Amino acid sequence: MGGMKPSQSIPDFEEINSPEFLAMLLAKGPPGQRAFARMVQGTHDRFLGFIRRQLASQEECLEVLQEVYLAVHKGLPGFAGKSKLTTWIFSLAHHKICDRIADRDRSHQELTENREASLSTETAGAERWDGITAWDAAPDRVSARNAVEGLIGKAIEALPEHARQVYQLRDVEGMSGEETAEVMGITPENVRVQLHRARRQIVEWVQEKMAGAPKT
Amino acid sequence: MSGWFYKVTYPCEKVREFMYDYLDDSLPTITSIRFHLHLNGCVQCREYLFLYKKAADAKSFRKENPAPEEFLASTLEFLEKEGITGSEDDAADWEPETKEPAP
Repeated sequence: MGGMKPSQSIPDFEEINSPEFLAMLLAKGPPGQRAFARMVQGTHDRFLGFIRRQLASQEECLEVLQEVYLAVHKGLPGFAGKSKLTTWIFSLAHHKICDRIADRDRSHQELTENREASLSTETAGAERWDGITAWDAAPDRVSARNAVEGLIGKAIEALPEHARQVYQLRDVEGMSGEETAEVMGITPENVRVQLHRARRQIVEWVQEKMAGAPKT
Repeated sequence: MSGWFYKVTYPCEKVREFMYDYLDDSLPTITSIRFHLHLNGCVQCREYLFLYKKAADAKSFRKENPAPEEFLASTLEFLEKEGITGSEDDAADWEPETKEPAP
């Protein structure tokens, strides 16, 4: 690959969201191109993580990631800076994912059911967890804790598409309610309702799997 | 569980509905007292809250599946072909625009 080598450190989200970095991105010629390459290096992992939770195939994820960066490049001159740059990019990713999902010849319901079916077989051997004795405290057994975290990971994948996106932006990416609302095109109150519902679905999914798993 | 408990505190379903506001530290004082009273006497809701907090603290899942290295390489190569990131050769030949001096 004859592309530009990373001559500077990989920027984190904070640096990317700074006005100075935006100015570098908007610069003409190689300085702008170099800044764009650095921005890709600093963001692709997080954006890909977001995309991967919504789309199954790696090839599709890569295509969407590239489409997102194309859209970023196209839209940058018009970016007004009203929101954080990364929030705006998440919002572009959200729209690209929605487009992909809409293009599919399957309903969201069918997708979720397929996920549920595959996850049920994967987690059938998970350790049974009998709950905790002291509230607000983690269970003593490390294996039980790991089992819980493993199951939560699976439960996230079992969430319906829309709820999964809200949950991922808010609880995984750590965005504020307002930022999540902006990305998803819904109100902050709606984010709150959907997030709470998603967390409850996760809890109940995990409880169900734990109750159904054989005791070790 | 004795009858008085249910008269003073909330039922389990209501307590579970309040968990978002509890984590958000936005429960009104009286609600918070009744919420805690219920938790003190209900192992199922304590277990539920434990899992709810685990679900809400999901930043660790961000690093669960790091992007394969070839993803970055493919993306940068793609963007270079699109003329978005450019190449080292382009950079070497490039000169910044300078304004013509006024006659």
